[in-house]
Amino acid sequence: MSLLESREVSKLYQMGSTSVTALDNVSLKVNEGEFVAIQGTSGSGKSTLLNIVGGLDHPTSGEVFFNARPLGPFSKREMARYRRYSVGMIFQNFNLIPTMNAQENVGLALAFGGLRGTQRNNKASELLNRVGLADRLTHRPGELSGGEQQRVAIARALANNPKVLLADEPTGNLDSTRAHELLELLRRMASSDALTILMVTHDRELATSFADRIIQMKDGAVVDEG
Amino acid sequence: MNFFDILQLAFRNLRQAKLRALLTTMGVVVGVAVIVTMVSFGLGLQQNMLARFGALDLFNEITVFGRSLTNLATAGFDRQTGRTNEGGERRGPRLKPDKNPTRILDDAAIAEIAKIPGVAYIQPTISLYVYTRANGHVRFEPAAGASVPNGSSRFKTFLAGGMISSADADEAVVTDSFTEDFGFENPADAVGQTIEFLAPPTNTNEKSKSEPSQAAEEGPANFFGIPLDEQDTTDASQTDLVARTFRIVGVLDLHLKDGPGQGGMVGLLPGAAIYVPVRAARQWALEHRGPMSQVALALARQSGSLNGSEAEGYDAAVIRVSDPVALTDVRKRLTDLGFGSFSIVDQIEQIKTVFLIIDSALGLLGGISLLVASFGIANTMIMSILERTREIGIMKAIGAEDREIKLIFFFEAAVIGACGGVIGVLAGWGMTALANRLAYRFILKPQGASFIDFFSLPPWLSASAIAFALVVSILAALYPAARAARIDPVRALRHD
Repeated sequence: MSLLESREVSKLYQMGSTSVTALDNVSLKVNEGEFVAIQGTSGSGKSTLLNIVGGLDHPTSGEVFFNARPLGPFSKREMARYRRYSVGMIFQNFNLIPTMNAQENVGLALAFGGLRGTQRNNKASELLNRVGLADRLTHRPGELSGGEQQRVAIARALANNPKVLLADEPTGNLDSTRAHELLELLRRMASSDALTILMVTHDRELATSFADRIIQMKDGAVVDEG
Repeated sequence: MNFFDILQLAFRNLRQAKLRALLTTMGVVVGVAVIVTMVSFGLGLQQNMLARFGALDLFNEITVFGRSLTNLATAGFDRQTGRTNEGGERRGPRLKPDKNPTRILDDAAIAEIAKIPGVAYIQPTISLYVYTRANGHVRFEPAAGASVPNGSSRFKTFLAGGMISSADADEAVVTDSFTEDFGFENPADAVGQTIEFLAPPTNTNEKSKSEPSQAAEEGPANFFGIPLDEQDTTDASQTDLVARTFRIVGVLDLHLKDGPGQGGMVGLLPGAAIYVPVRAARQWALEHRGPMSQVALALARQSGSLNGSEAEGYDAAVIRVSDPVALTDVRKRLTDLGFGSFSIVDQIEQIKTVFLIIDSALGLLGGISLLVASFGIANTMIMSILERTREIGIMKAIGAEDREIKLIFFFEAAVIGACGGVIGVLAGWGMTALANRLAYRFILKPQGASFIDFFSLPPWLSASAIAFALVVSILAALYPAARAARIDPVRALRHD
């Protein structure tokens, strides 16, 4: 049974009087525990799809299902809960809060999850320890390398034990060595946590070497479901 | 996220832009300080004024009126008009009863009133004008009865001597001006001297007695307890005069003192130059009544409204209540008993309304400055949303609810409001203290007056000023918070 499914998802952007189609009837399924890469050139609509699956954006038509439940009818609050507990997201530019150190960044996600005080600090340290940053707890993003920042972001994304990790060009700002290291880490964590990973990338080589399956996208449509 | 997490985040965000937070807070500080200073000035004004009234026994005294002799005498003739008739023997300020009394205020009634809960004491007012001889001078002086012992503020400050020792003592207390009029060099000399009340023998000489009655009609002549129209008299055909002798035991200090609001009325007891025990005054008034009063008495007896040898009641009495709060209840009881009454509180209520308007106007001025500060808060918040768009997007992406985003902004505004409020109250308090010092140093002291606190800063004012600042700040954050919650995370995350 598929954990994630998009059924005829379309997304139109209104640009003045003309409308631009970002997604055109995208249907795909991701099974539990799978590491799926969506590969496509820039502008192929892969990030838009990821945002819709991640509950940050709404499709113009079509429906996304998580665990066979449609996201469409969710209230804003339910959507926030979905982002908090069901999916974790990482981004190309890391999106860490620059004024908070590593522990605080992870702690913020834990705070939204309702953890407090020492419990929260311990959980944050533990998560950072898992991504190999035990000695970087009090460093701010500006004091960390790109790879380290992305690992903080992974720790944050996994803070509330989601079933799915959505990665939007996670290695886009990293050199190939760091990129490989990071994807190794993701794979390890995915297998130990039975995590489902949906990763968007333009890099075919990375996708083929790490993903179980590659979905090809072009001009807002799926051209190959792998 | 719980309360503390959000508060912590709010503090962190404010620390991020310290100067901006500080300047925004300063706006609130100024607004609150202005409110506090303005309103506490208004309250101080009111409090100082009411304190003066209070010190003068005007708040806890009631004048109660019974049916006067004149009323009794004319009972059979003009009952239907029912207008208040001016008691012939009454002096001092013309205090009018709220309603026409239907009962005679005799000793039994006095005893009954004394039993009303809340009544501390009651003292009949007996005022008379008598020819008085002392220290070789004879003058026509106002005299009054005084209860012994007496709790009125009038008998608190003596220049020399003290209060009459007992209700039966042939002793008198006189005013400072009395001692001057009678040629004593200084007030202390008068203590121990005797004064004589002079009257014709019981079969009265009509001509000489008509004069006092006329004078008696001119009540307000001694409004401030100081006789205005003195009638020095050289008439001293002492041979066939009767006299009653009193020994002066005390000289009252009624001189107007420095400072605002002092002097003037002390309690509702009519002023006089000489005070003798009530019983002695009553006896004298009945034995040596004027011809008008005699006519009235005869008429009253004839009409049957006053029977046999019964004496008429007192025109009025002054009641002192133990607690100003009980005043209204006591007055109601008096009305039920059939007496009229007067209380200065009727007037005070109007004064309070005026003060309420003044305070509101002053508060409004402060409110305007706080309003200006609230625009500052809204501006700061909107600025910080623009700066933190990405951060808000991140928080939404990792699962923040709109409600939580809003709360963060409300808490930031609340922190600004609360800090501004507390500092503003302290600043306002400092300003009032400074103003008091300056007023004392440059205005009061050169005039030889004592220190006066012009401001009143009660805890409720501080608390409500802070609460007001808090509420205004949160209101100012309404729009920015809603705007922050509306931020589209997709766009915010693309934002650099």
